[in-house]
Amino acid sequence: MIAQALLSVLLGGVLVYAWAEYRRSPLVGALSIMAGLAGLYFVWMPSHSTLVAEFVGIGRGVDLILYLWVCISLTVMLNLHLKLRAQQETITKLARSIATANLAAAQEAPAVTAEEAPQPAPPAAADAHTSRRMRGQSA
Amino acid sequence: MQGNVSKSVYVICPAFNEARTIAGVLAGLAGQGYEIVVVDDGSSDGTRRVAETMATTVISHPVNLGQGAALKTGIDYALSRGAEFIVTFDTDGQHRPSDIPRLLDALVRERADFALGSRFLGGAQRTPVLRRLLLRAATLFTAVTTGLRLTDTHNGLRAFTRRGAAALRLRQDRMAHASEILAEIARSRLRYVEVPVTIDYTEYSLAKGQRAGDFVMILLDLFAHKLRR
Repeated sequence: MIAQALLSVLLGGVLVYAWAEYRRSPLVGALSIMAGLAGLYFVWMPSHSTLVAEFVGIGRGVDLILYLWVCISLTVMLNLHLKLRAQQETITKLARSIATANLAAAQEAPAVTAEEAPQPAPPAAADAHTSRRMRGQSA
Repeated sequence: MQGNVSKSVYVICPAFNEARTIAGVLAGLAGQGYEIVVVDDGSSDGTRRVAETMATTVISHPVNLGQGAALKTGIDYALSRGAEFIVTFDTDGQHRPSDIPRLLDALVRERADFALGSRFLGGAQRTPVLRRLLLRAATLFTAVTTGLRLTDTHNGLRAFTRRGAAALRLRQDRMAHASEILAEIARSRLRYVEVPVTIDYTEYSLAKGQRAGDFVMILLDLFAHKLRR
């Protein structure tokens, strides 16, 4: 009974997470909801897992749960992959903004002539990772 | 560049650790009247320094993001500068600057928004057998997933009109960008044309190019892209 209560709380947490995730990735959310509901069902109806296992040709209820666990793990991995991709997109936007801002700063910085040489150049131009050099016919 | 294409042409050159070849590539592009934009994708071998000594605009990613991201950075910049035509040109030395006018002329002559280089319509120098097979498989994949009938789907030499470039919604940072560009061309329903170009394979460009295993990652990236909104 204690184990059932504990597992129910954990699986309830999975369902809440799945519901929140559904808005971002419907497929992952739906799979997680199905996994959570199936888990809750088998926690409270353990004998049914064997019946279901026998019905689908697995043999033991424990094996069925094991296979389901593998499926859930793969789903979680897929979701992590998707989240990493989303993070990468954010990083890309940031890096692109930095690159173009640096270029704009370098282009707007006044050219330092020999007379002006003692004056320090603006920090943005000095540190810029970008530059524009005009020479020849193309720019 | 030939007579009927006289508007501003921006050539976008994505570069990651291409210090060995970029000087030669940029020298070949210079003097044609193009605006050359090098997007240094976080190189660590001095690519940026070499590019800065040439007559180019250099945009530097602070970290390596991937060729797709570099192309988008360059395309966005060119659009912001009022480019009428945008060309993508690899910096590993496999493309010939002399092919660019043919792409631009094809855009004007065919009233197309996308001109895609094809090594199989033109002459590819020493195309290795495995690469040829992979490219054929990619061609089939593109036909099935986008409906585009192309002979070469992973050629880095392309030209877009301003309208065509603005229609592309590019989110693939790495190698899947080539497939994404084609999918976006199909989605835009704008006119496209293939143009024969020559690829000069060298040991260097082959080493930098995609391998069979990369296609697995490309498929995974494309699949993941579809799952997340």
